[in-house]
Amino acid sequence: MRPRPGGRLGTFPKPVRAVRSLLRAAALVAVLGFVAHNGGAGWVQALADLVVGAVAVGLLAPGLLLGRAVLVATASPPDATAGMPVEIGLRCSARLRVVPLDPPGPEVFVGPSRGPRAPRGDTCVVLARRGVYGSAVLEVATAAPFGMLWWKRQVTVALPGELCVAPRLGPAVPAPSAEGGDPGTTRRTASASGGVHGGVRPYRAGDPRHRVHWPASAHAAELMVRVVDAEEDEQVVVEVSLPSDADLADELAERALGTVVALQDRGSPVLLVTNEAAGERRGPVADRRSAGRRLARALSRTGSEVGLTLRREGSRGRSG
Amino acid sequence: MRLVDAVRRANRPGEPENSIALRAACAGTGLAGIAACFAEDELSLAVAFASAAAVVAGTVFSHLTRTHPRQFMKPVLAAGALLACVAFFRSLTSQAVYDVSGVEDPLAVLFAWIQGVHAFDTPARRDLVFTLAGSTTLMVVAAAQATDLGFAPYALCWAGLAVAGLCGMWSSQSRGGRASARQIAGSVSSTAAVAFAVLVALPAPHISGRVDFPQNGAGGALITAPGGLVGDGRAASEPARPGSPAGPTRVGGFLGFANRLDTALSPAVGDEVVMRVRAERPSYWIGETFDHFDGISWSTTDLPVSLPAGSPFVVPPSIGGALPTDAAPATSDLQTFYMVQSSPNLVFHADDADEVWFPVRNLFVRADDSLVSPISLGPGAIYTVQSEVAEPTAAELAGSWPAGYALRPATADALRADLELPGPDPRVAKLARAVTAHDRSTYEKVESLIGWIGAHTRYSTDIPPLPPGVGTVDEFLFGDRIGFCAQISSALAVMLRSLGVPAREAVGYVPGPYNPITDLYDIEAKDAHAWVQVWFPGFGWQSFDPTAVVPAANPAPGATIAHEAAHVLGAVPPLPAGAVLGGAGLGVALLRGWRRRPRSWAEAVTRRVERAGRRRRRPRGAGETLSEYARALDAGSADPAGHWSALADVVLAAAYGPTGPTPGLRADAERLLRLARSRHAPRTVGRSARLDWRSARGALSAGGRRGARRPRS
Repeated sequence: MRPRPGGRLGTFPKPVRAVRSLLRAAALVAVLGFVAHNGGAGWVQALADLVVGAVAVGLLAPGLLLGRAVLVATASPPDATAGMPVEIGLRCSARLRVVPLDPPGPEVFVGPSRGPRAPRGDTCVVLARRGVYGSAVLEVATAAPFGMLWWKRQVTVALPGELCVAPRLGPAVPAPSAEGGDPGTTRRTASASGGVHGGVRPYRAGDPRHRVHWPASAHAAELMVRVVDAEEDEQVVVEVSLPSDADLADELAERALGTVVALQDRGSPVLLVTNEAAGERRGPVADRRSAGRRLARALSRTGSEVGLTLRREGSRGRSG
Repeated sequence: MRLVDAVRRANRPGEPENSIALRAACAGTGLAGIAACFAEDELSLAVAFASAAAVVAGTVFSHLTRTHPRQFMKPVLAAGALLACVAFFRSLTSQAVYDVSGVEDPLAVLFAWIQGVHAFDTPARRDLVFTLAGSTTLMVVAAAQATDLGFAPYALCWAGLAVAGLCGMWSSQSRGGRASARQIAGSVSSTAAVAFAVLVALPAPHISGRVDFPQNGAGGALITAPGGLVGDGRAASEPARPGSPAGPTRVGGFLGFANRLDTALSPAVGDEVVMRVRAERPSYWIGETFDHFDGISWSTTDLPVSLPAGSPFVVPPSIGGALPTDAAPATSDLQTFYMVQSSPNLVFHADDADEVWFPVRNLFVRADDSLVSPISLGPGAIYTVQSEVAEPTAAELAGSWPAGYALRPATADALRADLELPGPDPRVAKLARAVTAHDRSTYEKVESLIGWIGAHTRYSTDIPPLPPGVGTVDEFLFGDRIGFCAQISSALAVMLRSLGVPAREAVGYVPGPYNPITDLYDIEAKDAHAWVQVWFPGFGWQSFDPTAVVPAANPAPGATIAHEAAHVLGAVPPLPAGAVLGGAGLGVALLRGWRRRPRSWAEAVTRRVERAGRRRRRPRGAGETLSEYARALDAGSADPAGHWSALADVVLAAAYGPTGPTPGLRADAERLLRLARSRHAPRTVGRSARLDWRSARGALSAGGRRGARRPRS
């Protein structure tokens, strides 16, 4: 079901455990009707009519209210981690019981209430798997106004923004060493005035900020970073090829994220290669967040070898 | 799942209910049910008060112990409920139950006690549902004995509290959900609409099955003269008098229901309800009949006979009465009469009464089918009559007495009194023969005479006194031809007798307005009526109402409309209507006041400043800010300290500052407001100036310039 803008719910709600409620109501109406009609008292019949009216409204009104209620997702974070609770803000025109189905979550009541309003409004918590979510599938239910019979309905609510659920941080795969003295890309840079600063080089995208060498940058009139280790300064290509099985893919993604984060912590620039819906994507990842987003979008690739491949530029190592 | 496990699961304690509003609503429904039963005299004051107190105390107790219900209460409450059941069955067996009301009263006591006992063990929402159900049974028991619209306030109160309770159930289920006023109004109106639709669609209720029909003597006094008619129940020992213009009249002003019916006296009847009748169809309910007419008054020559003892009483058929046949099957008509006013000891009934349920040892019947009670009938008396009414068609009646048919001597002798004329009056006989000259059967003659009366006479109760020595029928037929039911029916009866047709005068009540809520006919005093019964061979006495075809004399449309409107408005109980209107008005006023309430402290203080400014003849302008207004007030006051402006600064600081209205700011505002008011007194132009001017004029007129003060401008 495509997410529907505006959040108005469908028009065909279904009652929950209707048979039991209907049988009880039918028994009550039958007894009252028998007593009223055969007792000969007009007021008894009038009271029975009131009870019938209340029962009818109690059984049918929730379906009508559910059809007219408007449920809108008002807020959702742009990023999340798989398995960690995510709060999605909701606003509803009526009091509803909401059970998130996809992503799943515990039930919550949203809508107008007697108590003090929560500072952030009504929210529901979901536990999402790795992936990108543009909408949420919710099961909404109500029994208003008399609480006699619950009616429920599944609805897809569009999220205000895309929710990227990154994999959890898994164990890192050891990075390959630079065998053969591959010079890599370390170089000595010269400043604009011709001076040579040992162990510094111009800033490249992806370099950690803590390695910026400010005196050298002042001299060179451009950002310069320290070269700590020739090996760590080499860009590491992390190629992720996910399997089709969702659980195995999540596990592999977790390990990939752990590996990327470990490399980033050591200061190595990382080039992440993943397969997305638009095709293969190669690009540096500056931090955990960007790596998480990339891995959230990663899809399995058919016809290729599954696994996690790490290599430095000029050398090749396999793992995974 | 085993049965034991299922029982345990069903009886496990539910989640404690914390909503006080829900408990109050459910307790309120119970109290409404108890009040309704008390209003219908099903509960004594002591029982009603005790059960109501138990409901209130139990509700409070259950709320306080909701998180830790006292387990010892369950066996105690079970024992209390068991005692109530034992008392109920003992009350049934210890008294002779005449009718279903003898069961309803002990039932009401039982349910009231159960409601009070149950209130002590309602920790969870599920238990409160049983409270609602219990209140419903109380209301049904009360409604079973309700016979007028006075039950409506109890029903509406209970319905409102029940709806509030149901809404509270939902609010509790949804963890504090709040329904908007629009949703509540929609729910209530939908409920009322469905209820009304069901009420309209369903047929009227009826008492089915052969159960003990309602009967209640209401403590009527035993009449000393067996079979005699007595007064209105207020003086059971006095014989019934026909009434006179100078003396007391019968109940509601009707001059019948006595041993004589004076047709010369016009009634002055009112709209008061005399009795209420539940019947399967509207009928003319006969009180008694008269067979002897002396020209002015009717009387009866029949002597009462006691029916065999025991209720129900089987009424023997009248002379030549109709017996159910294949050609003329009888239609059963069950009627229950609820006395509202003291009434003569006549047992009213539709034609052909067959059985009477009356809580007395013996019942009297006259040969004219009049049923006489041995006790006086006061308010609250109830009796039931089942009639087997044969409804022959016009053709059958015409065929029963064709032209040339002569009554058998035995029949004629038995009906001798119904053939007697008051005296020789050739004009009446001549008129009757002329009107029926072309008619073949007796039935056609009756119809012709009724048609002639309808075409040549007028109805009115405002008639001049009868001239001395002139008979009623003579004056009516050959005088101004204006009269009321007793005169019209007497004229028809005399004309028929002049043709040799047995006819008699019947008095009773016509069906009053039907109340669809109570399913009762409200018989008012003005519904008292007189009509004619004509004897037909094989079918007995058949009723004919000539007054029905007589047009009213010069009815005034305005008076008629005003009368009907006053009648409708008069039927509305003033106290509940006034309470409803007053409550609605108060509710609207409170709602408006609530909507206009200040939303913040700053707004409240601003309104006080504006009020003070209006008193000082300086209202705030439409586009004037608070600061500008305060400066204007300072300019108008004699105080140069600028307290109004300082107050405005404090209010603005509280409204728009980071801290909001702190206690310090509030105290400053109150102090500044007090100072500003005291330094800037309200204007008193006009009255004091007028007084000063008078005192000045007085001073001048006295001849002394005493320096009268110039009035303040």
